[in-house]
Amino acid sequence: MLKDLVMPQNANVFVSKLGDILVKAIDQPLGYAINWGRIWSLWPVHIETACCSVEFGAASGPRYDVERFGIIEAFGSLRQCDLVVVQGTITRKMAPRLRLVYDQMPDPKYVIAMGACAITGGLYFDSYNVLPGIDGVLPVDVYVPGCPPRPETLIQGCMLLQEKIKCMKAR
Amino acid sequence: MSELPPGIKLEKEDDKIMTLNVGPQHPGSGHMRIIVKIDGDYIVSCDPDPGYVHRGEEKMAEYRNYITNIPHLERPVIHDSCNILYPYCLGVEEILGLEVPERAKYIRVIASELNRCVYTLYWLAIYGIFLGHSTMFMWPTGDRELLIDLLEKLSGARVTHAYFIPGGVRNDMPANFEDVCIRQINYFEKRIKQYDSIFYSNPILKSRTIKTGVLAQQDAISLGATGSVLRASGVDFDVRKKEPYDVYDNLDFQSNTLKSGDSYARSKIPWLDMLESCRIIRNALEKIPKSGSVRVKLKPNPKAGNVETYKRVESGRGSLGMYIISNGKPEPYRVKISVGSFRNLICLPYLLKGEKLGNMPAVYWSLNYWPVEADR
Repeated sequence: MLKDLVMPQNANVFVSKLGDILVKAIDQPLGYAINWGRIWSLWPVHIETACCSVEFGAASGPRYDVERFGIIEAFGSLRQCDLVVVQGTITRKMAPRLRLVYDQMPDPKYVIAMGACAITGGLYFDSYNVLPGIDGVLPVDVYVPGCPPRPETLIQGCMLLQEKIKCMKAR
Repeated sequence: MSELPPGIKLEKEDDKIMTLNVGPQHPGSGHMRIIVKIDGDYIVSCDPDPGYVHRGEEKMAEYRNYITNIPHLERPVIHDSCNILYPYCLGVEEILGLEVPERAKYIRVIASELNRCVYTLYWLAIYGIFLGHSTMFMWPTGDRELLIDLLEKLSGARVTHAYFIPGGVRNDMPANFEDVCIRQINYFEKRIKQYDSIFYSNPILKSRTIKTGVLAQQDAISLGATGSVLRASGVDFDVRKKEPYDVYDNLDFQSNTLKSGDSYARSKIPWLDMLESCRIIRNALEKIPKSGSVRVKLKPNPKAGNVETYKRVESGRGSLGMYIISNGKPEPYRVKISVGSFRNLICLPYLLKGEKLGNMPAVYWSLNYWPVEADR
């Protein structure tokens, strides 16, 4: 019966219908599982761009211990990382390097803009060498305000990112 | 062949020498690039490339008045913010002719010594990361929070205090601060004495740092090193002793020197300084006047005449000076910041010549260098 129904001119309709069924049956639970895995193993790349790195260091220290929430402290090799925490001011010299680091990371990758300087330029809005925010350089997922943000704020930003990944379509 | 990044050239003459690009993204710490030329495992020459965080602090200071300059001038070293504001406040007080109350001078000394410990502990933690000693990251980062609590009690902010203002400090100490401070400092002193057994007596650390990057006494003077780098080479120069500011001449402390001038000595001097800082804080809490005002009243937009001044203090990284020129306007005509980090970085190419590549992190971070401050 199927042989009669499927003809060369309408085969693509059938294939797409089959795809819909497969998405419902397999892709959604699989996507949930993949996202679940990504949420609890966020690896930030070890790139420090300005003074907010002090508070990032404090967040990975014993009192705040960001590892409790599935975020490992900054890691050296960018090939194994999936998170860029832009720690503060991006200058004109740093911006191409930051983009280079981002481009070399494997997909999927997420960006947290930490501190007022990374969001809008902050205190340095009228400096000749500072970018007014990193939106022109990287696609930002979560903005963490503060100058510098307290470690609690950074941890809350990371948890917001986890919430966001949960709602994202797994690729 | 795609275009090479700026600063990198293909080796054509001699392929025995390899150029290695370290940074600005590297497993250590600091936004800093070092271009190293190596022959086998030995470094032939190295070329530090700072300036990734150059934010134009000095230019920005020219179009803000004396009070609104405070928050952005402390940003170069946010974990040593009291010490970087110290020379600015001393200088502005001199050109405006302000007399600081006695109690404020003591509070300043206490805050700046606490801040020196906070800075040094962060520096030690990163030195631990550099040498693969994770315990030495966790311990100082944890102990640092105690002192940050004290400074938060004092000023209201975790790292960016903006506590020093021209004419004193922003607010008085809270009621029970002295008792809490003594208790914390006693615990802290006991705690950092344990670093000796876990870090400084560690045979692996010793084998990596002793006799690496030796800076002879004469070289340290001629290259213009300051702070712990200079004192590790056997030169007894501490701005707090040689040119005492505020009440440092009333307090009982000594400056630490070591003879050997290697990375081990350079990493040990800040630790000895922390013990000395505990002594200074205890001494200052004894001698502090129990009451009195902590700031003089400032006009909203203070102006100074055609005067200039240079003041320097001993920060966590060495002598930190500010040169302020006024031309009668509410804004300063020029603020020049002379920092210890940059002067210590100059020693790096001389220290690394002939070293093994594996020793580079141990030598680099022992220079007590904070890139954001060096770039300003």
